[in-house]
Amino acid sequence: MERWEQFQGVYVHTPFCLQKCLYCDFPSYAGFTEDARQQYAEALCREIEVRSVRRELPVAEGATVYFGGGTPTVLSVAQIGRIVDCLKQNGWWKEPAEATIEANPGTVDEPKLEALREMGFDRISIGVQSLQDNELRALGRIHTAEQAVEAVRAAKQAGFQRINADLMSGIPCQTEESFGKTLDTILQLGLSHISVYSLILEEGTPLARLVEEGSVQLPDEEASFNMYEMTTDVLAKAGLQRYEISNYAALGQESLHNLVYWHYEPYAAFGVGACTFTGTERRTNTFDVWQFIKGWQEEEVCSRSNGMSECIQHASCVYKPTGENEGAEDISLSAGKEDSALWQTEPLDRKTQISEAMIMGLRLRSGVSSDVMQKRFGIDIQHYYGKELERLRQNKMAEWDRGRLRLTEYGMRYGNRAFEAFV
Amino acid sequence: MQKDHIRNFSIIAHIDHGKSTLADRLIEMTGTLSKREMEEQILDSMELEKERGITIKDQAVQSIYRARNGEEYMLNFIDTPGHVDFNYEVSRALAACEGALLVIDASQGIEAQTLANTYLALDNNLEIIPVINKIDLPSADPDKVRKEIEDVIGIDASEAVLCSAKTGEGVSDILEAIVDRVPPPVCDDSKPLKALVFDSKFDSYKGVLLYLRVYDGTIRKGMKIEMMATGATYEVTEVGVFKPAPVNVDVLSAGEVGFLAAAIKTVGEARVGDTVTDAVHPAEEPLPGYRKATPMVFCGLYPVENTDYDNLRDALEKLQLNDASLLFEPETSTALGFGFRCGFLGLLHMDVIKERLEREYKLDLITTAPNVVYQINKTNGDIELVDNPSAFPDPTVIAEVAEPYVTATIIVPKDYVGAVMELSQEKRGEYQNMTYLDEDRVMIHYSLPLSEIIYDYFDRLKSCSRGYASLDYELAGYKPSDLVKVDILLNGDQVDALAAIVHRGNAQVQGRRLVERLRSLIPRQQFAIPVQAAIGNKVIAREDVAALRKDVLAKCYGGDISRKRKLLEKQKAGKKRMKQVGTVELPQEAFMAILSMDKKK
Repeated sequence: MERWEQFQGVYVHTPFCLQKCLYCDFPSYAGFTEDARQQYAEALCREIEVRSVRRELPVAEGATVYFGGGTPTVLSVAQIGRIVDCLKQNGWWKEPAEATIEANPGTVDEPKLEALREMGFDRISIGVQSLQDNELRALGRIHTAEQAVEAVRAAKQAGFQRINADLMSGIPCQTEESFGKTLDTILQLGLSHISVYSLILEEGTPLARLVEEGSVQLPDEEASFNMYEMTTDVLAKAGLQRYEISNYAALGQESLHNLVYWHYEPYAAFGVGACTFTGTERRTNTFDVWQFIKGWQEEEVCSRSNGMSECIQHASCVYKPTGENEGAEDISLSAGKEDSALWQTEPLDRKTQISEAMIMGLRLRSGVSSDVMQKRFGIDIQHYYGKELERLRQNKMAEWDRGRLRLTEYGMRYGNRAFEAFV
Repeated sequence: MQKDHIRNFSIIAHIDHGKSTLADRLIEMTGTLSKREMEEQILDSMELEKERGITIKDQAVQSIYRARNGEEYMLNFIDTPGHVDFNYEVSRALAACEGALLVIDASQGIEAQTLANTYLALDNNLEIIPVINKIDLPSADPDKVRKEIEDVIGIDASEAVLCSAKTGEGVSDILEAIVDRVPPPVCDDSKPLKALVFDSKFDSYKGVLLYLRVYDGTIRKGMKIEMMATGATYEVTEVGVFKPAPVNVDVLSAGEVGFLAAAIKTVGEARVGDTVTDAVHPAEEPLPGYRKATPMVFCGLYPVENTDYDNLRDALEKLQLNDASLLFEPETSTALGFGFRCGFLGLLHMDVIKERLEREYKLDLITTAPNVVYQINKTNGDIELVDNPSAFPDPTVIAEVAEPYVTATIIVPKDYVGAVMELSQEKRGEYQNMTYLDEDRVMIHYSLPLSEIIYDYFDRLKSCSRGYASLDYELAGYKPSDLVKVDILLNGDQVDALAAIVHRGNAQVQGRRLVERLRSLIPRQQFAIPVQAAIGNKVIAREDVAALRKDVLAKCYGGDISRKRKLLEKQKAGKKRMKQVGTVELPQEAFMAILSMDKKK
């Protein structure tokens, strides 16, 4: 079976944060109570169980696991453990090649990190963002630089060997100098993976509004660009090579889970706002936490009162399989008709799949494999994108390298203009 | 129908004074269409006309009206376009009538177009029936309007008909007034055929339909006709009238209005204003007043995709079948490639053609800024007409340049006179005179370069008078002007399609504004783009479009793909409307920069 015919990754979303950062437009909410979080963990388990009954795709051996957010570590060890167990029992967690959990400074201590190690997480991604307190405040982060460094140390102490730090450039109050300091400090911690994101001002976020009304100033374009260039230089000198537009790793330390996305391979995703991809369809869960909880709680009721087989039938209210032997029917994610309040489905035609495979793959330094595209979609990239591709090559934005099409450094810098050729 | 029971009339009005609504009501009241068939504003049939609330093509409707005296009358209503661009068509439509309803809004009073159209009607010796419309409005002041008609136009308004086309009040009085006051046609069936073409329309099955007013003689199916201006002859295949749907008849007699079809291939072969006669027994003289419509405004039309060139030509040819005043000829621009230089009667005409090309023929077009035709007297004595700024000759060979002027009539409340005069002065206008229409309103005449009118004069007139000013103008010939060509250079390369002709005294300021405007309109690219304005070799202004340092989505993971893809699709769609000029991508707006220089950035 080909890689693109199986789930290569499993994602679990936690939509809670202690405080919402000013720049964040992710499905993540502050202000939920412990009781709500408990109910969410239960609902999540229901989703995992019910969707195991008839999977959209088989789960590949070694499929990666990723707990993201929000802040997954605002859940208690018990809650996280419950979800992990549920994944394991239902065949989603099968000796994963990598199991990552995101954590934010101020939500983890050493005992909690040790517990996560014991559950089987072998990689941790810490939201450091900056190591300057004034910058952290300007982003609306809840932690200090010191707490961030402490979180990294604690993770090491707890036995995590694969640690990522997320950083941001182009944020309020930042200068080239302060950003340089943040990079230097983070490198002293000896991490094997760093992500550096240039700030995207997302419409509707408080930060976008503050910038709009002039009460917050961003570094100018020149400074932001210098930070972008500095990142690649400084990290390369420290042995972290850029392997994706915003991601840097020591050799062999790339994020396997994120590579699944960039290789455009299927992944299953659970939780509020989570997005499942089967290769031909994309299914996005509701962004409403209470709708998610209530929707999956109804499944709980049926399971307790009627037993498993009934529950499958009830689950069919959600999945709407057809035919006599309902439980055994395929649960397809086809367009529209199976959509419910809990999710929406977007069918992807072949042309869209090809576009997306290209724009995701070209984010990688290694680019897109001509062979894989040939095998998977039956196209010859060179021929399929003929003129557009030639133009990119002439402008030195893209190049061929041993059977792979990739963007040049220059092409990555103007990535949006390069991607445009493929949509 | 006996000749003395025929009434041919049209309606003249300023825009929005209710002409179309009244026409609908008249058709409805004569029972030509039942209520059910009555579509709102039925005469304005083109989609664009409906959208813009204006009439572009003439229509002619025949109805039979039983008057209060118990007798039946044939009423031929000839609709006229309501825009100055189509002045000649209006004059021909009026020439086909004996009377005109002069519709004036009861609260607005006389406006610039009211006057212009009234003068046209008087030129054609029409009986004018003043109609004061919209009397249902609370702000209506019919007595004031009546006085205005008498004072300004100088016609008796004591018997003006008061009506509301909207409610129907007074409409039957209008029909009676038409019967009583519009004279019947003076004509003779037995004389050789003389019929005026006041409009034409292309029909893909029948060929061109000629809209006619028969003065003398009769027209029947099968007869041989001759167009007196072109000498072309045809055999009539169909004769009919509009009710308002076309209905075939055996004969169109003297005094009547209707249409004929004669397998005429393009409207250019049988132009508006021409006289149709019997090819076997021709009339001695054609009817007076024929002239070929001359385009006044020119612009370049270029396909965004060079491969669309043939499609654009096909589309223009199709539009020309139905629009004899549309001119086009192939043109090559170093910046834009292959396209066409097109001539239009005016700005509205240009906009309508552009929109039809984009909407009906699905073409993505780049339009260069409109310009007038310059007359250049060269040092060697030659006279050259230039309809494209980039073809403006080298200053060393120019003895004198002349440009078309118009006489503009502006009617405005007196509080805005200062603003209007200031604007007109800025636009190189020469003040002629000013008269008070009443204690509040003033009529001002200015001589203005047509080029200023086609830039932004009207928009600015409206804004400086808070929408109260009305404008009409007529061409007043060529006058010498001290004009120079301003070239625009992008990245050091001259872009012919951006060249502009401006007055030497304003060149410095205009050049500066133009580059500033272009800087704000040209999207930033991977490299800096110097934008320069130059007269000859001398650069008079420069601005730089700064380089974009980077442009890449920092984050894209499993949940973002759809959204990010859609962003890219949107970005790409935006570029579709851009034209690659050398290494620079230019949006359509850049070519129109000169029209929007005074707008806020």
